[in-house]
Amino acid sequence: MSSRAEVAAEVRASARPPEGLIHEWVRTWAFAHRNLIMARRNVFFVFELTFWPGVAMLSHGLLTRFLELTPQMTAFILAGTVALSTVQVCQLDVAYAVLFDIWSKSMKHQFLAPVAIRHLALGSWLVGVGRGLVVFALMAAIGSSAFGFDFLGAGPASLATFLLGCFLSALIIGLFVCALVILFGTRAESSAWAAVNFLVMLAGVYYPVSVLPGWAQTVSAFIPLTYFLDAFRAGYGFEPVFAHPALMGFALTALYLALGHWALAAALTRSRRTGLLLKLSE
Amino acid sequence: MAAADSLASSGLAVDARDLTKTFRSGWLRPRRTEALRGASLQVPRGAIFGLLGPNGAGKTTLLSILATLLIPDGGSARVLGYDVVREAREVRRRLNMASGNASFVWSLRPAEVLAFYGRLYGLHGRALRVRVDELIELCELGAHRTTEYNELSTGLKQRLAFAKALLNRPEVLFLDEPTLGLDPDVSVRIRAQIARLRRELGTTIILTTHYMREAEELCDEIAFIKGGRILARGAADALKRQIHIGEVVSLRLDPAEPIGLAELSGVLGMRRRGDRLEVTVDAVEKRLPELLRWLYGQGVEVRDCRVREADLEEVFVELAR
Repeated sequence: MSSRAEVAAEVRASARPPEGLIHEWVRTWAFAHRNLIMARRNVFFVFELTFWPGVAMLSHGLLTRFLELTPQMTAFILAGTVALSTVQVCQLDVAYAVLFDIWSKSMKHQFLAPVAIRHLALGSWLVGVGRGLVVFALMAAIGSSAFGFDFLGAGPASLATFLLGCFLSALIIGLFVCALVILFGTRAESSAWAAVNFLVMLAGVYYPVSVLPGWAQTVSAFIPLTYFLDAFRAGYGFEPVFAHPALMGFALTALYLALGHWALAAALTRSRRTGLLLKLSE
Repeated sequence: MAAADSLASSGLAVDARDLTKTFRSGWLRPRRTEALRGASLQVPRGAIFGLLGPNGAGKTTLLSILATLLIPDGGSARVLGYDVVREAREVRRRLNMASGNASFVWSLRPAEVLAFYGRLYGLHGRALRVRVDELIELCELGAHRTTEYNELSTGLKQRLAFAKALLNRPEVLFLDEPTLGLDPDVSVRIRAQIARLRRELGTTIILTTHYMREAEELCDEIAFIKGGRILARGAADALKRQIHIGEVVSLRLDPAEPIGLAELSGVLGMRRRGDRLEVTVDAVEKRLPELLRWLYGQGVEVRDCRVREADLEEVFVELAR
């Protein structure tokens, strides 16, 4: 090595120790811990955790009573109610990884640090899963005590698959919401969530996808939640619409997670190029 | 190109060449703002470097590119030998930044803000707790440990931003208007910390400021940026010589502002500072006797007369014009 090259190497070797798995976890935990603090400190977080899911379960349960639905049909409807509430609460946490910084105009500090998308997405998702489980427990308690709905009726494995599917769907939605917000700023917040609700509607939350118009059925076939609902309801005796729905759901989930990661990475790069990342911090 | 860059970067903390950046905005009526037009900057390791320029000159854009927050349209930049675009993660591990208008998540308390960002830099366990405590003590935030961010005063917020910027013991630190809007005593303490960082840890510091005294006091070298280009650079004294804008004759007169003085040959400018009239002349040895003769001829009483070199602020005004 020539002496000039040695000098150059010396400049680069401003040695920082190599990083390992512990650093990966610490960065992931940073986002989880922040979401936990915020959830603990803000009364509205308790509200979104208990009030809306409680209202949804009670109103839909009462509707099934009014319509004099069979226990099987009640399970069909209430499974959709649980799916919608858990997905909504969990995806909110993923979106908070970016929204907290946008609302407080502190965006640039986060991305000035050596963090990757996986840290912010996984960290905030973990808290989302925790909060989603609380929502599920609350809804299960209301559903079983008030309307006789047995959430374990399809078996524990089926329930675990269903919940995992809901949480992974929330991660996908959260990633895309983050990407849209980073790409277009805060004005994209409401439209992102409107799009989410529209897509969830097409997943057949309260009805089989077969009642949807043809074009909507085509769209629903590309939504993982459609398959997770189909698989879960099969456990209550409904004929599955799709072959191997859980498998299809996870395969689509893997595809969309990769796409969501790519979309968020691309949005970040673009916001670094356009200067939006700085504008979101002013 | 990479080899050439490495060589050029030897001994340099920052090596930016021909950086260009244009911002585009508006859909119906697109607008283009050229923020950088071929800015080049080399900063030696361990230096405190001042980046001065009027509003909109490109200071923050330049720092943001070096901090990997912006991607340049053209040119190249290396920090500690690492390319700010291709090796951004390595740059981020070694660099940090504080700005005068920094903001953090409103409901977090100072220790929580520091712990959050500390973790993003990979600190954990006891090392994280110790570092947070050190910085809280260093920046005198102890009494406000449990106060939520949105309840802190401007000065405390700025001290917290400064503390956050030191979390990863950065080798290169960017300070964007670090004393903006602070009380004089807090500014003095921040300036003392900046000087100490370089003295004790050898940290390379690039700061932007509108306070010329701050730049003169702290910086080994200063660069003037305007219209997205570096117009001049050097030590403060060298810059004053390089950008020769003459000497200043500071007068206390009666009457205070005689008519016609500005039209005298060799008078470059005039301004009032308190009860004194400051007249900038091109060559003091020649112009001072002429000036005094003219004043006596006009019946103006000269109560006091002092001559001084133009200060950095006057150089700044000249360059910014």
